[in-house]
Amino acid sequence: MLQCIFLLSDSGEVMLEKQLTGHRVDRSICDWFWDHVISQGDSFKSQPVIASPTHYLFQVVREGITFLACTQVEMTPLMGIEFLCRVSDVLSDYLGGLNEDVIKDNFVIVYELLDEMIDNGFPLTTEANILREMIAPPNIVSKVLSVVTGNSSNVSDTLPGATGSCIPWRAAEPKYANNEVYVDLVEEMDAVINRDGALVKCEVYGEVRVNSHLSGLPDLTLSFANPSILDDVRFHPCVRFRPWESHQVLSFVPPDGEFKLMSYRIKKLKSTPLYVKPQLTSDAGKCRVNVLVGIRNDPGKTIDSITLEFQLPPCILSADLNSNHGTVNILGNKICSWTIGRIPKDKTPSLSGTLLLETELERLHVFPTFRVGFRIMGVALSGLQIDKLDLKTAPSRLYKGFRALTRAGEFEVRS
Amino acid sequence: MAPPAQSQRSPSPSQPSGKSEVSDLKLQLRQLAGSRAPGVDDSKRELFKKVISYMTIGIDVSSLFGEMVMCSATSDIVLKKMCYLYVGNYAKVNPDLALLTINFLQRDCRDEDPMIRGLALRSLCSLRVANLVEYLVGPLGSGLKDSNSYVRMVAVMGVLKLYHISASTCIDADFPSILKHLMLHDSDTQVVANCLSALQEIWSAEASTSEEASREREALISKPVIYYLLNRIKEFSEWAQCLVLELVTKYVPSDSSEIFDIMNLLEDRLQHANGAVVLATIRVFLQLTLSMTDVHQQVYERIKAPLLTLVSSGSPEQSYAVLSHLHLLVMRAPYVFSSDYKHFYCQYNEPSYVKRLKLEMLTAVANESNTYEIVTELCEYAANVDIPIARESIRAVGKIALQQYDVNAIVDRLLQFLEMEKDYVTAEALVLVKDLLRKYPQWSHDCIAVVGNISSKNVQEPKAKAALIWMLGEYSQDMQDAPYVLESLVENWDEEHSAEVRLHLLTAVMRCFFKRPPETQSALGAALAAGIADFHQDVHDRALFYYRILRYNVSVAERVVNPPKQAVSVFADTQSSEIKDRIFDEFNSLSVLYQKPSYMFTDKEHRVPLEFADELGNLSIGEAANNVVPTQMVEENDKDLLLTTSEKEETKGSRNNGSAYTVPYDGSSTSVFASQAQVESAVSNPTLAGHSPQASFAIDDLLGLGIPATPAVPSPPQLKLNTKAALDPSTFQQKWRQLPVALSQEISVNPQGVAALTAPQALLRHMQSHSIHCIASGGQSPNFKFLFFAQKFEESSNYLVECVINTSSAKAQVKIKADDQNTSQDFSTLFESALSKFGTS
Repeated sequence: MLQCIFLLSDSGEVMLEKQLTGHRVDRSICDWFWDHVISQGDSFKSQPVIASPTHYLFQVVREGITFLACTQVEMTPLMGIEFLCRVSDVLSDYLGGLNEDVIKDNFVIVYELLDEMIDNGFPLTTEANILREMIAPPNIVSKVLSVVTGNSSNVSDTLPGATGSCIPWRAAEPKYANNEVYVDLVEEMDAVINRDGALVKCEVYGEVRVNSHLSGLPDLTLSFANPSILDDVRFHPCVRFRPWESHQVLSFVPPDGEFKLMSYRIKKLKSTPLYVKPQLTSDAGKCRVNVLVGIRNDPGKTIDSITLEFQLPPCILSADLNSNHGTVNILGNKICSWTIGRIPKDKTPSLSGTLLLETELERLHVFPTFRVGFRIMGVALSGLQIDKLDLKTAPSRLYKGFRALTRAGEFEVRS
Repeated sequence: MAPPAQSQRSPSPSQPSGKSEVSDLKLQLRQLAGSRAPGVDDSKRELFKKVISYMTIGIDVSSLFGEMVMCSATSDIVLKKMCYLYVGNYAKVNPDLALLTINFLQRDCRDEDPMIRGLALRSLCSLRVANLVEYLVGPLGSGLKDSNSYVRMVAVMGVLKLYHISASTCIDADFPSILKHLMLHDSDTQVVANCLSALQEIWSAEASTSEEASREREALISKPVIYYLLNRIKEFSEWAQCLVLELVTKYVPSDSSEIFDIMNLLEDRLQHANGAVVLATIRVFLQLTLSMTDVHQQVYERIKAPLLTLVSSGSPEQSYAVLSHLHLLVMRAPYVFSSDYKHFYCQYNEPSYVKRLKLEMLTAVANESNTYEIVTELCEYAANVDIPIARESIRAVGKIALQQYDVNAIVDRLLQFLEMEKDYVTAEALVLVKDLLRKYPQWSHDCIAVVGNISSKNVQEPKAKAALIWMLGEYSQDMQDAPYVLESLVENWDEEHSAEVRLHLLTAVMRCFFKRPPETQSALGAALAAGIADFHQDVHDRALFYYRILRYNVSVAERVVNPPKQAVSVFADTQSSEIKDRIFDEFNSLSVLYQKPSYMFTDKEHRVPLEFADELGNLSIGEAANNVVPTQMVEENDKDLLLTTSEKEETKGSRNNGSAYTVPYDGSSTSVFASQAQVESAVSNPTLAGHSPQASFAIDDLLGLGIPATPAVPSPPQLKLNTKAALDPSTFQQKWRQLPVALSQEISVNPQGVAALTAPQALLRHMQSHSIHCIASGGQSPNFKFLFFAQKFEESSNYLVECVINTSSAKAQVKIKADDQNTSQDFSTLFESALSKFGTS
């Protein structure tokens, strides 16, 4: 049972306070929390669940905004954390992004939302679709209207029908002139590659995102060409379990609008699209660096937005690094970032230069880890393929669209 | 929303009190209140918005209460919502004015629009003013019967709120039985879920006084109710599912077929998108199968994939929480996860608390088939930028080495660490090599060759230095220059600040002496002389002990110092298995994240005040351990145990670093090497406080040894305390029970002292310098509890003190008991003066 929720700005100011139970949580807890965060150095490094002298605190940081919840009683930690994550998702969905100003401008809406999302410390409705029917989001049209007419009612006066229906994620039957449904496969590749190029670990985490604008109560079936490669899956509540268990078919009545239908994990992949070959050789207080980046396995589509980033070891006095392609920047916190973009046809991009070590050091003991970023449109690197999407009682005009995208998640190359 | 109490009293100059703005608003609201002009709602809305934004930034706008209520007569729902928000916030501090709102809220409760009915009812119940409860019963009663489920849902929660304001009103109106009926018959699952959570709370609270309530509470976990809820579980919202699943964990199925039915029904919940549901389901599975060993194993296999997916898919915060649970399971059943070790590889970007968990898991899952790869991976981290993690990973390599039978490759790795020329790597590796040699003496040849090359000058950390010295003593026959290295260390005795190192040096010189007498003799003499002159109690005692035993009989001395050793075979665990089981029982709760069972940290308000009888187990044996030997140490048989104990304590300490408070861990579970060799345990334990200080002075005189006077401790002249007082816990406990309270008073602690009291240890050290010793301490901010004792100089008259310091009020409650009642006032003055100096010196 959560007792209170605070929203803090990135300077620790309390932007919003929502007491949830009869037990009033004093604001001073935020001061304690902020001191704690500062003493930890980096707010992103501090634990999500901490104990203050008086309360247990859950914190989730999104876009510089800290969502802080307090409780004094034992509860399931994930409920606290998940709920805060949902709050941040819903808010950013409603307000079109999260930042200090947007929250301060719309604090009334935030209060209204929290009021419907949690009562007496227990979460109620966190489905954005349903909330949207109870509290209209501030959109540009109503903003303009409110400026012109001074009228800014953002509350619909009807109760959502779905609160009573047995499909809680779907609002009462919407009507569309154009019936559309889009399915996106979005994959993130996590990999660790050794200094000798061997793949230590390679895994894909993927999501199936659906954007549906269908009239009535549509019943969809989505099947994959190769569902056996999936190691583990998690579903949106709308997915029926039995058809998946027996035939690996996703059968569902979708919520209206955009949602995450399924997430999956595929482990033990055998190769990566890129190779990165770092070489570091130390000699007499200097370290020569040479990094090559190239295509290892051509995925068939262009790999773009390639970046490479690494933290210079603290024992380095200065660094002189250049590349034959793209731009190299050394940021204030000793992070060297190399933006490559696409791999050119005529040459292999390489980064080279020297690092000057601290005076008493002969050679480098701490080796940097290179973090690689990339994006490939049109390909799901895991090889997962959508077979077909069917709609029971299809309307006369139905548009279906499929897309795929892979990007680097935690892609690390050790040196 | 409400300003903190402080800013009400004294608004800081940087934050305007907003007084002029507030009176401005007051005026404007008043003008609008009676107006019926078109467009008045819009101007009201602007004003309300302003009021609420003031409220949000912490300006006290409670003085507008009357005007706000006057303006609330409106049909605009946004205005209503803002008004409800305002009223809910300030009603508690303005109970008289709150009466004004009742009228319009009650009217809204009968509105046509269910949304307004619901909102009004929610606000009405959120006023939380005790003298208004009579107005709640009517609207709640009709709310529970409302045709719209939204209103019913709000009303159910309203009943719970009413219960917390006035339990008797709630019970008298017979609301619980209405809720029970709703729970079993309502068509809306959210209403059912709210009924469930409200009833659980109400009946649990009532159960202590009413037998009927406890029966009703039992009925909630009866078969019909559980089945009814389980059959509808898919209709519930995800949060309500968590609630139901939690209830199911308390249910005891009658036979195994029931267990399988429940598990089959819930299996798909493991694939739910909400992590809270997944974890709650896992808890049900684990609890249900506790008695069925083989099924329990299968459950582990089944829940593995969902847990690993949750770790990799969620936000960093979620993955940490899941990882903590995974950690618990891995520690319980490492072999189940041994093929998934790659999931526990650390990523560069992960925060160190995550890496630490992962390192522990990697250590746990290592077995014959994956050790090589795990150790290779761990060695990567040794070059990590994050030094604490680099250290942890070296320690992890060592732990794996001690678990495994095939340590060949690992020893090579460790020896490579020694050659890495990084001081912290060398330090950690030395400690590990020492542990390794205790378990695998057969490796001594290879290790000693490498260790011999390390110059003791390059090793600064006490633990590492102690380990090096231990090896010098133990393997002095194999190391050419051991006596000379030891000799040079003895020469620098005064520069050695760590008592631990000095203790080890004494023992090592002794050992070396028996192996290579001629070369070591002079070093031994110097070491004993320096040791006896040492100001540290233990070092002094140990040197004296060696001296005497050498005088008594050299061959006995050799038997004591160089007993035949057997290899250490098993490491005792740092956390008792009982505690682990308790945490496991609390799966899916905060206990798992803190790695402590909830009785160690939950709600201080509900915690029973500490009683002496049961607290010794929970309190840490403080610095007094130097004087008083905890019982379990007597059973140990090796001088090196001292080192190990402190080592374990340090790892414990570092584990606690992450969380803000440290729960008192008990000294007795700080376990050490469980050695098999049981050789003359009592005799060989040098730290045994066998002789009281007085007695030892007498013997010293006999021996004609010039013992330097104990360092003079400034204390008020009227009462002199013994600086080396000794008292063991059981005597303390006994005396505490027998003696009457001589004095009981409240002392205020100065602010510096409060600030310095971040952990009990600081105060212990301070008080010890005033000859007041701590026997046990515990608690955490804001309440610390200490048990002190002191002894009158040259008399065996004891003073016992129980001192509870509250850091938030800066007050200490002191109870003093004394053998000699006449001097208790003097002692109290002394104690007070000592306490008042804490933090200032």
